[in-house]
Amino acid sequence: MAKNLSGDLQVASANRLADGVVVWLDDAGEWTTRLERAAISRDRRSGEILLLRAQAEAFVVIDPFLVAVAEDDDGTIEPLSLRERIRASGLTFDAIAADAVRYA
Amino acid sequence: MKLFSETGLPATYVALPFADWRTRSDWPAVALANTDPVEELAAHVDRLRLVVLHFPKFSDGRAYSQARLLRGRMGYRGELRATGGVLQDQVAFMLRCGFDSFESDQKGFGEALARARTVFSVVYQPAEDGRAPVSLLRHERRNAALT
Amino acid sequence: MPDTYFYRYDDYDRTLVGERVEQFRDQVRRRLAGELTEEQFKPLRLHNGLYLQLHAYMLRIAIPYGTLSSRQLRKLADISRKYDRGYGHFTTRQNLQLNWIRLEDAPDALAALAEVDMHALQTSGNCIRNVTADHFAGAAADEIEDPRIWAEIVRQWSTLHPEFTYLPRKFKIAITGSPNDRAAVRVHDIGLRLWRNDEGEVGFEVIVGGGLGRTPMIGKTLRAFLPRNELLAYLEATLRVYNRYGRRDNLYKARIKILVHEVGVERMRADVEAEYAETRDGLLGLSSETIEAIAQQFAPPDLPSRPTVVGAVEALKLEDRDFALWLKSNVAPHRAAGYAIVTASLKPAGAPPGDASAVQMEGVADIADTYSQSELRVSHEQNLTLPHVAIEDLPAVYAALGRLGFAEANVGKITDIIACPGLDYCALANARSIPVAQRLSSHFANLARQHDIGDLKIKISGCINACGHHHVGHIGILGVDKNGVELYQISLGGDVDFGRTALGTIIGPAVTADKVVEAVDAVVATYLDVRNDGERFVDTYRRIGAQPFKERLYETV
Repeated sequence: MAKNLSGDLQVASANRLADGVVVWLDDAGEWTTRLERAAISRDRRSGEILLLRAQAEAFVVIDPFLVAVAEDDDGTIEPLSLRERIRASGLTFDAIAADAVRYA
Repeated sequence: MKLFSETGLPATYVALPFADWRTRSDWPAVALANTDPVEELAAHVDRLRLVVLHFPKFSDGRAYSQARLLRGRMGYRGELRATGGVLQDQVAFMLRCGFDSFESDQKGFGEALARARTVFSVVYQPAEDGRAPVSLLRHERRNAALT
Repeated sequence: MPDTYFYRYDDYDRTLVGERVEQFRDQVRRRLAGELTEEQFKPLRLHNGLYLQLHAYMLRIAIPYGTLSSRQLRKLADISRKYDRGYGHFTTRQNLQLNWIRLEDAPDALAALAEVDMHALQTSGNCIRNVTADHFAGAAADEIEDPRIWAEIVRQWSTLHPEFTYLPRKFKIAITGSPNDRAAVRVHDIGLRLWRNDEGEVGFEVIVGGGLGRTPMIGKTLRAFLPRNELLAYLEATLRVYNRYGRRDNLYKARIKILVHEVGVERMRADVEAEYAETRDGLLGLSSETIEAIAQQFAPPDLPSRPTVVGAVEALKLEDRDFALWLKSNVAPHRAAGYAIVTASLKPAGAPPGDASAVQMEGVADIADTYSQSELRVSHEQNLTLPHVAIEDLPAVYAALGRLGFAEANVGKITDIIACPGLDYCALANARSIPVAQRLSSHFANLARQHDIGDLKIKISGCINACGHHHVGHIGILGVDKNGVELYQISLGGDVDFGRTALGTIIGPAVTADKVVEAVDAVVATYLDVRNDGERFVDTYRRIGAQPFKERLYETV
């Protein structure tokens, strides 16, 4: 059960410039492809700071922005919006499954 | 802001904003917003020495049309200057539309301008730079093959 | 004998495309080195077909007028394997989209494309986009003149046009050469329709200001008859008026349709005609020699006479019901006796509409080599077409397409769904499209039932930008986001056929994703109950109106 759905929790995300891959800013100020390593801000003020940090590290990414997330009791985070969930976990259907079966 | 010109020393006239110039249209230099009616310069093109056209953003392309009308339709031959969002990646288009001087503070703009006429050795359409479009070259080639 | 029956690049075309690749390579280098900001770089990459989507960059490759050689299709397969994930998505505007391209690789991918005389030029950005045409061009029985000749002429004129590369907004041109418009000319910024007047001359009806998107409009006739050789002069005049006076203050009001709507078509016509009076005698006039030189390259293949009635085809028709259905829906008349136009359906039940894997692309290329003069077409319905197939060969083609999963007998039927990529890929989308299309096409998979339902076009967009053309779907489905939940608005009665072009009407409150199939089912059931003999869905809708559909739908969901 997600314990915090208020939208106060945020992570900073962007697409990597060189290949477009979705990345999040971690605590060390590096861009990571793993959402679970993302730095989390817990209130508005620290959200603003997180965004400024992301913008300062924006040389290798495109237009960083904040993403509202929910956090489970075990610390697992998940974006609140469907768009960001899809950005985090990929296509919601199997793009080539039918094909793979057909030509297996 | 640096001024670049392909044709050597640019004109030193102070360009009057269009509204002011209208009240004293004997003045040889005018600066137009991209919404100003360029057609009104038609009767004055022989006297004008400098026309400045403005790109509020590099992505606002209205001044390209103004430039072509000035050069192609009205036969203006004086200096035609681009100001505002003037960047090296658009300069080849500006040259084709008849601009010959540029205000830009982009790093490397001068070098890019020097190369700009050779980035594309082929053009598909007639414009204001006198380059022969491909259709004409093909036509000549066909004629040469016939004779 | 030529190796293709459409325009072949000469050294000029190759030089330009090659120089463009190198220009972009330098621009990418400067972007990666930080010399260009994203704001400065974005239009440059868009003008080369490179978008940034949710998960990656997407490369949109132009397939001008939808015509493609087998060699080119194999190269596309190759590029999708080497630089992407081994599949691509054919779009409603005769483009192929690769969804997982790396910016660093994009110049190499474009160079590979240039090896087969293809490019991604102006497939995005506020410029004149890839020019589309009837996918049956050069083969259709009802054709007055091959529209691709003119599409190629426009392609060249619009490519790197110095005046029209930073327009207020994107600009789409479509051309048809047949009275049965298969190019949707009434819903383009400019639609061109070739027709023959009472004097027997062929010219263009010029239609302006159509389009879908958030403000859908049916285009209006700007000029009833334009002599063919004046086409570029007239287009240049129209584009100039648009470039100067089109709105730039509001992204959503920047298309030419809004300008036409705001000033009125009479004023627009007067402005364009005044400009045209100046451009018409200039260098843009097309000499008959220039036209002929391009027209020659579209000379149709010399198709030897083949039998029109084939015993084996008739026999298989009786034996294999699906084949019989396929002949009805996926095979269209060809102008040459003994030949047919075959559409390979890229809509197998449950699959993402318009997607093809590299293996499938190569498979279709092989079929085109053996049976269709090595030529293919991409249709705006997101299918592939084999334009010149001998009737004798239909059983073999059917079997070969079947092995690829592309022989579904559903062209024009309820599962021949147009869908945009939607929220799974697209940064602009509000809701998913492909999963909805997959559920619908699985639900209605039964071919006999589909043929009983008859012609019924479902079109799905994942946002108001309407890339899935939902406004002109007989059943249109628009995904919207309401407080984080995907909802789908259903509209009925849209139509894209020429002379009947209409925008659909929203039938009532939007439904949740899990109710879309039931909603469509209710609409179809209503139609089946009340239709007259031989009456198409959209005609029934026009006859009885929305109410009966609405009642049944909202009783159900």
